[in-house]
Amino acid sequence: MVMTNSPGAAAPVPLEVEEPPVPRASSSRRRRSLLKRLRRSPILYLMLVPGIVYFAVFKYAPMYGITIAFQDYLPFLGMQDSPWVGMKHFERLFSGPDFGRLLSNTLILAFLNIVIAFPAPIIVALMLNELRKQMLKKFIQTAIYIPHFLSWAIVSGLTYLLFALDIGPITVLFNEIFGGRVNFLADPDWFRPVIMVQTLWKGTGWGTIIYLAALAGVDKQLYEAAMIDGAGRFQQLRHVTIPAIIPTVIIMLILNIGNFLDTGFEQIYMLTNSLNRDVADVFDTYVYFMGITNGAYSYSTAIGLFKGLVGLVLILGANWLAKKFTESSLF
Amino acid sequence: MFSRRALLGGAAAGTATLGLAACGGSSGGGSGSSEEITSLRIMAPLLSDTAPDPEGELQTAIEEFIGMPLEITWVPNSSYDDRVTVTMASDSIPHVMVQTGKTAEFAQTAQAGGYWDLTEILPEYENLTPQNDEVAHGASINGRTYGIFRLRDAMRAAISIRKDWLDALGLDEPRATDDLMEIARAFTEEDPAGDGSATTGLIIPAWSGYGNNGPYDLWETWHGTANVWKDEGGTLAPAFLAPEFLEANRSMRAMIESGHVNADFATMDSATWNEPFFTGQGGLIADVSSRGLQLLGLFKDADAEDYGDKVTMVGNLSRPDGSKWSLPTPGYSGYLSIPKASVPSDAQLATVLGALDKLSSAEGQRLLNNGIEGVNYEVDGDQSVAIESEEASLVQSDVSAFAQIGSQSNGYLGYPAKPEGEPETALDEKRLAFHETDMETAVFNPGAAYMSESYLQNGAILDQIVVDARLKYLAGQIDEAGLTAELERWTASGGQQVIDEMNELYQQGLN
Repeated sequence: MVMTNSPGAAAPVPLEVEEPPVPRASSSRRRRSLLKRLRRSPILYLMLVPGIVYFAVFKYAPMYGITIAFQDYLPFLGMQDSPWVGMKHFERLFSGPDFGRLLSNTLILAFLNIVIAFPAPIIVALMLNELRKQMLKKFIQTAIYIPHFLSWAIVSGLTYLLFALDIGPITVLFNEIFGGRVNFLADPDWFRPVIMVQTLWKGTGWGTIIYLAALAGVDKQLYEAAMIDGAGRFQQLRHVTIPAIIPTVIIMLILNIGNFLDTGFEQIYMLTNSLNRDVADVFDTYVYFMGITNGAYSYSTAIGLFKGLVGLVLILGANWLAKKFTESSLF
Repeated sequence: MFSRRALLGGAAAGTATLGLAACGGSSGGGSGSSEEITSLRIMAPLLSDTAPDPEGELQTAIEEFIGMPLEITWVPNSSYDDRVTVTMASDSIPHVMVQTGKTAEFAQTAQAGGYWDLTEILPEYENLTPQNDEVAHGASINGRTYGIFRLRDAMRAAISIRKDWLDALGLDEPRATDDLMEIARAFTEEDPAGDGSATTGLIIPAWSGYGNNGPYDLWETWHGTANVWKDEGGTLAPAFLAPEFLEANRSMRAMIESGHVNADFATMDSATWNEPFFTGQGGLIADVSSRGLQLLGLFKDADAEDYGDKVTMVGNLSRPDGSKWSLPTPGYSGYLSIPKASVPSDAQLATVLGALDKLSSAEGQRLLNNGIEGVNYEVDGDQSVAIESEEASLVQSDVSAFAQIGSQSNGYLGYPAKPEGEPETALDEKRLAFHETDMETAVFNPGAAYMSESYLQNGAILDQIVVDARLKYLAGQIDEAGLTAELERWTASGGQQVIDEMNELYQQGLN
């Protein structure tokens, strides 16, 4: 969606294009026009069907299952016979001893993601864009994409090898330079840095794709004009390149904020141990812990629902702000 | 091209299917009519890679033996518990459902009437009457029996030791906890391998869970903390609140701080536990006795001539003053449970239990645990010896799967496997001997049978507090006051309620 909409012209173009002014249509007229359009290009609308079916079956129908957040659900009783308990599980979540810790851990990781992991691909894309040698650019691009295709299990395995106490190459090097005996894998102070290193290594290269596509769409004439006006490379960057990709950045930011509380279950779960659990526990791992290993389906559904609601509020808020201040928004 | 009507019709049908799928959960047990059971449906975990062939020799022999065809759903062990949940919410529920443990979900479902309460019924079946009452009580849920437990060795604790290192340093096998500490020190500091390589004493991996017979649990029980719950004059108290808990962890921390334990004890993958022992980085593992045999096998694979002096084992250790507490296992691993939805009537229950009763007879147990005599094994004295042939290996691989549906709650009547070589036989005999003496000092968990309501709800979180606090203390992140504070946090975050409920159940159980 973003790629196809990426601006062909240089100026920041609002992605939500205002419909050309049409005479006010009553709802019946609008319905008739939908019918007319359906009749005119049925194949086009037929192509929508798989998408609608997908969302209906895999996204909307399962929402029925949210009801178990308000029950004491037991699989064998099913959703109809499990006792209804109202907000009990939410009360338990908000008043429980773990809530504060989970919330702050989740928010801190999410914040780090937005502040560090989100801008990284933009910076790398801008740097790649400045490279003159196409061969070199393509090579670097390909090289930094590769980690994206590795599963978290493999990334964690590598992390354990590289950061192992006393024998991991990175640990050895680090201790050589800074002294001391750092235990990256168990020290709670190092948990978040290691997580961020993993995220950056795995995701940055892949993230550049969208920005490089946006950069490729910038009109060359603008650079020429800027050069004639006497702009240096940095001025071109500031006044041509960056304004051109701002809409893409905004869209990506909104999309990312929607996943604000998705802090990466696999990644965190595999790096968690008894010594760093205080900073590692987030909503996702807690849901797994309670729901899958402890059989508390209702409670973990309640947590999941809470997480979903926060995500929804954030995405709507971010979209509203983006619309207000930058003219580009998602919807 | 579709006409619009066809499209609408399709959409309607789609919606109807969705509705049906959503309702499926509540109408559980559609097959549970009162008809006679003519074939036995079983769901069981599969621990190996390939499921047994339903037409295979072993399954045919078992079907012949119980006089009923079997329909077994083998589910990979890693996703087994999820499948139990999904299956219980579906309408194709088996007659016999293997449970892998006393999970919160099993207890809740059983108490809500999902599984037959067999407390009064099992004594009618000779081969389903438990041999060991202590294990049977521990396997019950608050004194009620909701499944036929699957018997396991009640004593498995053992320390595997590099025997050649011990000999090289002229040390004796450990008898008490301070002996072990001394050996760990010597293995670390006195170059037991004789080549100057860096070695350590005790090898401990990242261990999750509390009260599951891990290395720390062993160490604490040996110091006298009892086993998860401690009976103090008729009331139950958590074992980790006993003063011996601090004492045990104090000495463990001392060992760790002096480097007599592997430095990555908090993060080492337990799946690679054998490696440092085998490669000569460490010389002590406190775990179960099957590990010692495994390790011996590793050394044999590396050098089939000279492996006999590499591994020895000892059982539970005493305190330095000679008083001894041994840590037993629960003595069982999961259950064969019978869902009421698929077996609604008493007559059907009798059919199912009759078949299970046969499978638990001597002949049935041998089919499930050994295979077919003369095809894949022969009997030598009271031990089984494997036969090498293509046919035999097929049956043998099926045996490893079918062992999962055996209960043996009436005692194990199959043949133990005969060890291969001389050193294995010696080590096997040694372990059986010390297991037997250790049983005399075994401290069973007095609270094993009881599941309090608040433990069902918060147990996983509460256990985690103990596990994490213990490890933080051992790693030096918190001091003793910090450890005590963390354990008080256990009491404050719902632990006190667990103690109260447990004692209420315990008093009811005693009367």
